[in-house]
Amino acid sequence: MKTEYASAVAAVKAMESTLMTQNDIEQLINTSTKSERQAFIDSRNGDVKNISDVWDMLMTFASDSKELKILLYRNDFHNLKAVLKAMISNRDPEIYYVSPSNVTLEELKKAFRDKEADILPEHMRDTARSAYELLTRTLDGQLSDSLIDCAALEAMQKSAADCGSEFMKRYAALISACADIKTAYRCSKMGKSRQFLESAVCGSSELDKEALIRSALSGVEALYDYLKKSGYGEAAELLKENPAGFEKWCDDVIMELAADARMQAFGVEPLAAYYIAKEAELKNIRIINVCKESGTAREIITERMRKLYV
Amino acid sequence: MNSMGLALAIIGAACASLFAGIGSAKGVGLVGEAAAGVVSVDPNKFSKVLILELLPGTQGLYGLLTAILMLRKIGILGGEVASLTTAQGLMFLGAAMPIAIVGLFSGIAQGRAAAAGVGITAKKPEHNGKGIIMAAMVETYAILALLVSILIINNIAV
Repeated sequence: MKTEYASAVAAVKAMESTLMTQNDIEQLINTSTKSERQAFIDSRNGDVKNISDVWDMLMTFASDSKELKILLYRNDFHNLKAVLKAMISNRDPEIYYVSPSNVTLEELKKAFRDKEADILPEHMRDTARSAYELLTRTLDGQLSDSLIDCAALEAMQKSAADCGSEFMKRYAALISACADIKTAYRCSKMGKSRQFLESAVCGSSELDKEALIRSALSGVEALYDYLKKSGYGEAAELLKENPAGFEKWCDDVIMELAADARMQAFGVEPLAAYYIAKEAELKNIRIINVCKESGTAREIITERMRKLYV
Repeated sequence: MNSMGLALAIIGAACASLFAGIGSAKGVGLVGEAAAGVVSVDPNKFSKVLILELLPGTQGLYGLLTAILMLRKIGILGGEVASLTTAQGLMFLGAAMPIAIVGLFSGIAQGRAAAAGVGITAKKPEHNGKGIIMAAMVETYAILALLVSILIINNIAV
């Protein structure tokens, strides 16, 4: 019988009560000054100021969890991209580094500076070597970016399959499917070649890679048709109307997955769900701050708000 | 004196306290883990989660009670040690089984239910009572097993 992380799950449940509700978000949208917003956020968040604080808390309870580390793969690979490009162009990579991450900035810098990819986690080593070789040979940042992005999604799906967690498998598949749809859509609009699409689309259990590439090469209408046939009709409609709406849909799909996982009393799923919920909450706060600063209408801000966990 | 009969009865008493005790220890340990997680975030909830932590502890007490009743009946505790046939010894061993087995599994199951109840207390302290009721339902089966064990012990002619 699964009774893992009983302590961590209980602690997370205690903290769920501090997550923002719909009412809180509305109050935040109604604030008029930045200081007013910050005071409100501080009153709700307590000791948890940013996503790194959430991660540190989760790691105090579940530092041995391989499943949770998958949540940071996107950050890890983003940092890989950032450090690689910064080092090639002699810039300081620190400003591009995002936290939390499974790999420190120093490790990444050392891996490229000393050409020691072996100090990186196993799932990043080959990608680091290939991306470095590709970028130094072609100086094509877009090509190396797409290689790293695709590798990140593949690594997520592989690690999720290896750890056997159904929740993480579904999470990785949904993240990959959303990323692939975005890539296929952009490439279709820009008229990219099959060769580029083949390197940029990762494939997942949700969408057939070959069919997605074929439809993207035939034009956006063919892509919409393929998505409709594959159970992604809503995504296709949103892409047609407003790509920003599609971005929100992607976040909401992940949040729905997290909302199901929070019902569990044990295991890694409620911990991952809390992390996802906190990420969405912080994204909502960021959107509100940016929109309020730029004077965006209240209705539009409300429309852009990601689904909430509570 | 048939030592085999007595040995079987003592094994029965040991089983009653051993397995029910293991069930309780596992159950209380699990709830304790969950409770510690909540208290680390909100120490004010200590008293509420403590009630839930105590619930799976009863199986161990039932096992102890059964063992004492058996040991008294066979004269190990106070009085003269009874002379038991092998059949009587097996009857005592059989009498211990309901609380030993049900105690083991219900202790663990109640621990799981109570640990989940700690989650309710953590998130919605005002609904703490619901978590207690759900965990307490498991107790029914431990009580029934205790009852059967006591009835058998009382009706074994020594």
